[in-house]
Amino acid sequence: MLELRGVSVLYTRDARPALAGVTLDVAAGECVALVGPSGGGKTTLLRSINGSVPLAGGSIRVDGVDVSTLRGPTLRRLRTRLAMVAQQHDLVDRLRVYQNVMAGALGRWSTWHALRFLIAPRRHELEEAHAALSSVGVPEKLRSLTSDLSGGQQQRVAIARALVQRPSAILADEPIASLDPLLGEQILRLLCRLARERNIALLCSLHQPELARRYFDRVVTIADGMLAVDGAALRAGGAGPAHVR
Amino acid sequence: MTLFVPDVSAAYLRDLIVPVGETIGMAAAGMFVAFALGIPIAVAIGTRAPGFRLLVAALSSLRAIPDLTLAILAVVIVGLGPGAGVVALALFYTAMVGRVYADLFLTAERAPLEALRATGASRVAIAAFGLLPLTMSDLLTFGSYAFECAMRASIIVGAVGGGGLGTELVGSLNALAYHRVLTLILVLVALVAIVDRFGALVRRTPRLGLLLVPVGLISLWLNRPGLFSFAHALGVFGGMLPPALRLPEVAALPALIAQTLGMALGGTLLGAVLAFPTSPAAAQRIAPPALALLLRRIFDVARAIPELVWGLVLVVSIGTGPFAGAIALGLHSAGVLGKLYAESFENAPVAPIAALASTGARTLPIVAFGFVPLALGPLVVHTLFRLEWNVRAAAIVGMIGAGGIGQALYQAQQLFFYREMLAYVLVTWGLVALSDWLGERLRLRLGWRFVASG
Repeated sequence: MLELRGVSVLYTRDARPALAGVTLDVAAGECVALVGPSGGGKTTLLRSINGSVPLAGGSIRVDGVDVSTLRGPTLRRLRTRLAMVAQQHDLVDRLRVYQNVMAGALGRWSTWHALRFLIAPRRHELEEAHAALSSVGVPEKLRSLTSDLSGGQQQRVAIARALVQRPSAILADEPIASLDPLLGEQILRLLCRLARERNIALLCSLHQPELARRYFDRVVTIADGMLAVDGAALRAGGAGPAHVR
Repeated sequence: MTLFVPDVSAAYLRDLIVPVGETIGMAAAGMFVAFALGIPIAVAIGTRAPGFRLLVAALSSLRAIPDLTLAILAVVIVGLGPGAGVVALALFYTAMVGRVYADLFLTAERAPLEALRATGASRVAIAAFGLLPLTMSDLLTFGSYAFECAMRASIIVGAVGGGGLGTELVGSLNALAYHRVLTLILVLVALVAIVDRFGALVRRTPRLGLLLVPVGLISLWLNRPGLFSFAHALGVFGGMLPPALRLPEVAALPALIAQTLGMALGGTLLGAVLAFPTSPAAAQRIAPPALALLLRRIFDVARAIPELVWGLVLVVSIGTGPFAGAIALGLHSAGVLGKLYAESFENAPVAPIAALASTGARTLPIVAFGFVPLALGPLVVHTLFRLEWNVRAAAIVGMIGAGGIGQALYQAQQLFFYREMLAYVLVTWGLVALSDWLGERLRLRLGWRFVASG
């Protein structure tokens, strides 16, 4: 699970903070949507959880571990517990689908294991890839060349890679931005179902507030680096600060 | 071990002023002619003037004679000295500049050119207002790359009597003055580095490129051929006709060709084997900047030393033969390929790499699962292009005792068997033209037209 407390981020050349005191919790198995205007801080927030953006203030805990104190190998180990799903184009298109899927396991594999897998994958590894692909609905693509897949199929493969990572949380940055609306809804439904089934915290930035309200447990709005509205909090009748829970 | 202590005495360095000047002068004069002739030819081809296909074929076939082979011809015809070097460089680089610029013009954006043509503009106007501005950055990039090549070539043409540092180098090797050899190699690396920097400057401030005009003109004037030598040249050239080989020489030909091709293949393989595992560490996206920079410098040095100079040094240390030749090609190729591979990794798409890194993967798995498959196309094409280039280079290193067709050619020249020499030139030409043609077809099938190389 994710615990953010007063997270602030300053990009040096920008006078305005990219994030200003964001406090937010996402529990295991909970699906939280992050909506708001472009440049409002959605991507920065997701990247800061991953340890890719240095914090100017506040703290981020993943499974109780403070992200900002981690460097090098310990940060790498933390990242194995956080799966990222991006807009698109983040698969290696020259690889086979099963290779992209099992790339999710790179964090726990030794370098030697990883290289051996590229040349000679073992049966149980292929079975794991197959299982992950089955749960995203494209098991038949196991050995296809990734570049031969459609945009929607590629996004499913990216989610399968995230599952193979066995994460505590999935951080999805506009995962449906480059898909047509129908496909996009399918992907959102899939993400939320998998997160609940597997008890994974899901934090997903989105452009469409109506989709966010339809599929997610909670919707938070971020603008100018600050959280504005927390859906669950509003529904519970409290109009207070963004952080409730 | 004296090779490892360069001779940097003031007296020797003073002695080097003239050869360094000659080397720079040959490169400048050669490139001045190459641009002066190559650009108009390229414009004629680029605007599809009548007979432009013939021009393309002429340039391609001229380019298929390696620069050093041209230099040997030039030394025979024009006589020893920098004049021969200028002639050889001017011919080779006119073909190279003409051909590559023509390709750039032919593939320039069509719409603005059609608009110009619709106004009834002349070819010159279309070139000045359309072709040149549209392709300027590519022209400058390739132009400075060609100049760098010309500087290296200017050193090697000296090895067959073209004057400059090459002549000095061969002299020092023959005199077993290895400390001077090291000095010369250091000077050469420095010269290529300076040219590289200057090229980067010209790309930023194109006007600086005009410096080539006075330097080239002065050098051309200093090396102008006399009237007497022109008549003499015609006579010598007549003596080469018709090219002929005796029967035993014809019988030996397949073995010579096999040796040359073997050197090219072995050298490319060695270069790739040295460059592939080290090049990721030379990419700043993969390795710590300090390590990347260090490796880049090592590649730069390996690259700055031409195949022939590697060959000269190796022949002294490990003896003559195709093996030494292949290693010479391999060391230079390792520098070139290392740089190009590293650049291919730097240019790999960002998103998939970021995705792999976000899984907590270690560096080497990220390279294996990400950088290598993503950059596979450029890696293959660069290697194929190097193989193509190494066929030329293999014919050249043969001249210093590495065997193959080049050695036969050089021996014929040394013995004044000019008709045999010309026959070997023609064989070399056929071999290189064939490999160029095959390589170009292969690259086009892979969807790659232009490759930088060095």
